[in-house]
Amino acid sequence: MNIIEIHNLVHRFSDGTPGLDGINLTVRKGDFVVIAGANGSGKTTLLKHLNGLLYPDAGTVKVDGFSVKKRPKAARQFVGMVFQDADTQIVGETVYEDVAFGPENLCLPESEIKKRVEAALRSVGLWALRYQRPHLLSGGEKRRLAIAGVLTMKPKVLVFDEPFSNLDYPGIRQVLWQMIRLHKQGHTLIVTTHDLEKVIAHAQRLIIMKDGKLVRDGIPGDLVEELEKFSIRKPYSRGLKGEFISWVN
Amino acid sequence: MGELTNHFFSDKSCWLRRIDVRFKMVFLVFLSLVIIKANFSGLLLLFLTQSLVFLASRISLKKTIKDFRFFFFFLMFIFLAQTLSVSGKNLLFQIHLFSLEIHITQEAVATGALVCFRLFLIVVLGYLFISSTLSSEVKMAVTWFLKPVPLIPENRVATMLSLLMRFLPLILQQAGETAAAQRARGVNNRKNPVYRFMKFTIPMLRRTFLRTNDLILAMEARGYSEKRTIKKLSANKLDWLSLVIVIALSLLVMLAQM
Repeated sequence: MNIIEIHNLVHRFSDGTPGLDGINLTVRKGDFVVIAGANGSGKTTLLKHLNGLLYPDAGTVKVDGFSVKKRPKAARQFVGMVFQDADTQIVGETVYEDVAFGPENLCLPESEIKKRVEAALRSVGLWALRYQRPHLLSGGEKRRLAIAGVLTMKPKVLVFDEPFSNLDYPGIRQVLWQMIRLHKQGHTLIVTTHDLEKVIAHAQRLIIMKDGKLVRDGIPGDLVEELEKFSIRKPYSRGLKGEFISWVN
Repeated sequence: MGELTNHFFSDKSCWLRRIDVRFKMVFLVFLSLVIIKANFSGLLLLFLTQSLVFLASRISLKKTIKDFRFFFFFLMFIFLAQTLSVSGKNLLFQIHLFSLEIHITQEAVATGALVCFRLFLIVVLGYLFISSTLSSEVKMAVTWFLKPVPLIPENRVATMLSLLMRFLPLILQQAGETAAAQRARGVNNRKNPVYRFMKFTIPMLRRTFLRTNDLILAMEARGYSEKRTIKKLSANKLDWLSLVIVIALSLLVMLAQM
């Protein structure tokens, strides 16, 4: 079953520069999709169309069968987005308050908010830090907090924009663990990155973007030799059988 | 708000933290007015009470002194300014400075001490408030107080207030980074302050606006709207008991003045 359907998506920025050019894409429920591309290839612009942060100039974007443009609020609940810069995503004064921001926007009763916040914080291992001020957290913890903030809205699709940028090795592993766990729980994951090494071992599908176009779409192992052609670093960590090596092993 | 002090009661184990924020705001305003009107004996009574509250709150004295170190200089400056500027009848001593003759009177010293004492007590009161209150709680109280005021969108005002508190440290950090980057490129060699101001302000504002745009997107992505669940504030026994104590204390201070 397709959970995301994009047809002929065209987006131009306010100065007329083309952002996306005729994107056609479908994502099946429960998939782990990685979108790779050099800087400026249109990855983030594409993600922002999935929850109505940007609207198409032409074409349609549908999630769970409904148009994002027609029901942006429902789309934002259905597609949770974790931004590249966790610092700007954090709006609460404490960890607890930040995670409660989403369900408060859904006008949920206080008891339900409490329940969701506790469940989300426990699931990302930050419950013990619930009274901590977010700016005192490490990079990995901030990214996990951003994930918890999105999880409280109970999205079916999770979208990660460059989730490993500015993170040290333990931070990358923490975030990657969360992504694998969420995928196992049945979430559909879409991850954008220009550094495939860290996540490729877990991806079921690899999409390559260049100049606002979708230029390749397939199984990661089949596309790996073409990566350098699109200014993407080829992942070199391979096992004896040629399989990609996970960063969490 | 706890970011403004060296310590903050993160959990609600401290009784001061548990008092309803609306009561704390009323206490802050009410006691500040009482302090402005009080004389020495009244101020001494308030000082003893504040000291007791301070001790009972388990605030670290060492950290507090660290927080207050610049304030003490400020108080000293005010004391000197008052002592040198206020005239009186009872001469305490004279200072001869070149051709200048400065008279220090008992009245001037007393006025200086009284002003400093009042200022000190008001600042300690504010310090206790910010150490025990989250900005989100202030936001809730502002929403509650503004609700009956017509034409003011209380929820919008409250959100703007909380975002300002949240992003002030980030903006300051950004300003520090911009200044350091410019120093590294030798901006100190340029003596023209207008040039330096322009070179600092433009990138600083640009980065702030970009960050603001990111914040708006992040808030939108999490479904922000003015129609949202607002936590309800509720007064309990501790709040009413504190109110009785504050009123009794104020009456005592007034009586001490007679």
